Amino acid sequence: MAAASLAAAPAAAPDRAFLTVEGLKKHFGGVKALDGVSFSLDEGEVHALVGENGAGKSTLIKILSGVFPYDAGQIVLAGEAYRPLSPHDAKDHGVQVVHQEFNLLEHLTIAENISIEQLPKNSFGLLDRKEMNRRARKALDAIGLTDVDVTAPVRSLGIAHRQLVEIARALQSKSRILILDEPTATLTERETKRLFDIVAGIKADGVTVVFVSHHLDEVFAICDRVTVFRNGKTIATDLISETTPEGVVQRMVGRKLAAEQEEHPDRHALGESALRLENLVTAANPGSTGVSLDLRYGEIVGISGLVGAGRTEILRGIFGIDPPQSGKIFRDGAEVRFKGPRDAIAAGIGFVTEDRKDEGLILGMPIAANISLANMGSVSRSGLLKLAEETRQAVASAARLTLKYGRTSDPASSLSGGNQQKVVLAKWLARNPKVLLLDEPTRGVDVGAKAEIYAILKDLAREGVALLVVSSEMPELMTLADRILVLAEHEIQGEVKRPDFSEENILKLAYGQTPGAGENDK
Amino acid sequence: MTTETLSETAAAAPKFSIRTVLHNAGIGLALLALIVFFSLFTEHFLTPNNITNILTQITINLVLAVGMTFVILIGGIDLSVGSVMAFAAVVAGKAITLPGFGPAEAIALAVVAATLTGVFCGFLNGAISAYWSLPSFIITLGMLNIARGAALQVSEAQTIYSFPFAFEEFGSAMIYGVPVVFLVALVLVFIAWFVLNFTVFGRLIYGIGNNEEAVRLAGHSVARYKIAAFTICGLTAGIAAVVYMARLNISSPIAGIGFELNAIAAVIIGGTSLSGGRGSVIGTLLGAFIIGVLANGLILIGLSDFMRQMITGVVIIVAVILDYYRAKYAAK
Repeated sequence: MAAASLAAAPAAAPDRAFLTVEGLKKHFGGVKALDGVSFSLDEGEVHALVGENGAGKSTLIKILSGVFPYDAGQIVLAGEAYRPLSPHDAKDHGVQVVHQEFNLLEHLTIAENISIEQLPKNSFGLLDRKEMNRRARKALDAIGLTDVDVTAPVRSLGIAHRQLVEIARALQSKSRILILDEPTATLTERETKRLFDIVAGIKADGVTVVFVSHHLDEVFAICDRVTVFRNGKTIATDLISETTPEGVVQRMVGRKLAAEQEEHPDRHALGESALRLENLVTAANPGSTGVSLDLRYGEIVGISGLVGAGRTEILRGIFGIDPPQSGKIFRDGAEVRFKGPRDAIAAGIGFVTEDRKDEGLILGMPIAANISLANMGSVSRSGLLKLAEETRQAVASAARLTLKYGRTSDPASSLSGGNQQKVVLAKWLARNPKVLLLDEPTRGVDVGAKAEIYAILKDLAREGVALLVVSSEMPELMTLADRILVLAEHEIQGEVKRPDFSEENILKLAYGQTPGAGENDK
Repeated sequence: MTTETLSETAAAAPKFSIRTVLHNAGIGLALLALIVFFSLFTEHFLTPNNITNILTQITINLVLAVGMTFVILIGGIDLSVGSVMAFAAVVAGKAITLPGFGPAEAIALAVVAATLTGVFCGFLNGAISAYWSLPSFIITLGMLNIARGAALQVSEAQTIYSFPFAFEEFGSAMIYGVPVVFLVALVLVFIAWFVLNFTVFGRLIYGIGNNEEAVRLAGHSVARYKIAAFTICGLTAGIAAVVYMARLNISSPIAGIGFELNAIAAVIIGGTSLSGGRGSVIGTLLGAFIIGVLANGLILIGLSDFMRQMITGVVIIVAVILDYYRAKYAAK
């Protein structure tokens, strides 16, 4: 790799540190997003931030770029306290971010997009198109995009070029720190190489680049130092020249894994195949060979993988929300084709969705109405609601799930996150599903409610229900699952059985470091 | 178990807070205040004749607003009801004046023709916007033009008249000073209230307005309920056409211009959220009354019709601002 030479460049000396972060903390409600983040950036270095999903990288970036204020700690930029009030303020301080999601206006030209923050005006106060195009040309030339016409609309560009246009936009104003948030997620290999060349050029100009990535091979190709995040804390900063990908993974995982895993639920006999997938290809990634798995009655199978690996898409495909592109689904050994959630529900499948607010609950409506939503037949006769029966069922399932609530006629929004999640569960349990799909079943749920939800799920498995659980939290999967399938790039990279459960084994698969799949000299 | 006792006591003791009462009774209190105001400051407001007047004046708007409530509850809008009403009236006018029928058959034929025309237009509105997931604002704007054009075409731009005498009688009949047509509207309000509160259909109408995706993922056909809501709206436009014909004893192809806006105003003043999912048909009833009382009272007080229109506009805006605070309050 051309960029590999960068890694060999000597790391910046400590006295050149010009941004230091110390003891940074940030809470969202009761959730500690950042719980003591400390690290420093040197002038002209490429600094990687790595860590699992939810480890705090995105929150840190948002604080540095002025999206959120921070609660405690301090940030010093070039010798002065730095507390950006807005993204605009951050930009004035020379901190630029290229976000994972694009912020380009599709229908405007490239030049307009590049100058959007400060459009040049002529002496009549009108837009100076010539000057605008000249600036855009200069900005694109600076990163080697000489072959792109600045008067073309952004929508005519491919994903990769859009990414590069964003970088050009960020760089045209005087940047001191350029933060790239997962810049290669959507790039092909060739485009990635081009990006790395650009990063090398930026670095040579003395700009500090912060590089957030899930791909350790890239981190090792272009970065000087790496800071590892875990659970909202920074664990360590290492010189790339003095560490290895294995060493970084170990830091991401930490030492103490044993505790929850020890508690071995009494294993019970597994039943017949409840749900089988054969090369199921979802619309999100039509190019892959698809996903195959076999889920048996009484079994809990976990699906691990990084965000964007295609975990949710599998569940949505099974449930008939986004019909799969190809591949087969077997229910009780017979092939099925679901035209929509209705068919999947009729086949005894339930889907506890990831997003309570948007997909799982009707927050403004009563708890009882939410619980009966997927099971209207049992609380009505010829279209007329049996309200007393509905309340009775709601009270019963609330008791079963130890829901903490006021009245079943209170809106679901009156509940805490954990109890809201229990209502989503109750909605599906009301149908006595044979197969239950769960996507991040305890996101935003406090520790106590988490344990209760785990107990409910294990009980269901003991009763013979087949459960397929997607989760970003590895301890959660290790507590619940009989085996864990690790997904990357919309394909299953491997399976980890209960005796082999460790965050390291899972992460290695997720980062493609398994012998054979990893060590890729692409 | 602690949770059981918790839920039992909770179920036994319904909680009445001043906040919830104010929240729900706000529109009623506003209406009461208006009535008191006009009773004090005008001579004729609270006379039996004037009350009959008001009831007659609000009937058509109330009928249209009942259907509009369904559409707005699912987060849609129907701009075509005024035109559809005219179209239905013209079709029914053609039917009722067909030669060779006795008065009873002619009237029955007209009622069927009007409601079917309304249902057909409403179904098209719903089916097109649901099938292609297009904003109902645009689709019904198209239907507004189509139905108006169709009304003019079918009637050859002529007013149709000379209906059976019995029809006119029905239009002006009273029971203790209450117009029968108003009672018809009240019955519609009651039916809508029952459907929205005590049927699976009504539950899902609210559900869709609140969170369409959650309803879809729970296995319900969202498109079917959307189409039904627009069809109901079309049906009430057809019924409004019958009321209109009975009261005026004519069918004019240029009737009902702007009626859709009054119907929407009644629904919104009645506290139904334009983004759907929140509101009630009782609110719509009160909203229609507020508009009617304002119109009547302001003229009695001596303001010009133009001033009346301006004040009605202010009331709509104030109602939406109040709704903003109500939503903010509820979110806390």
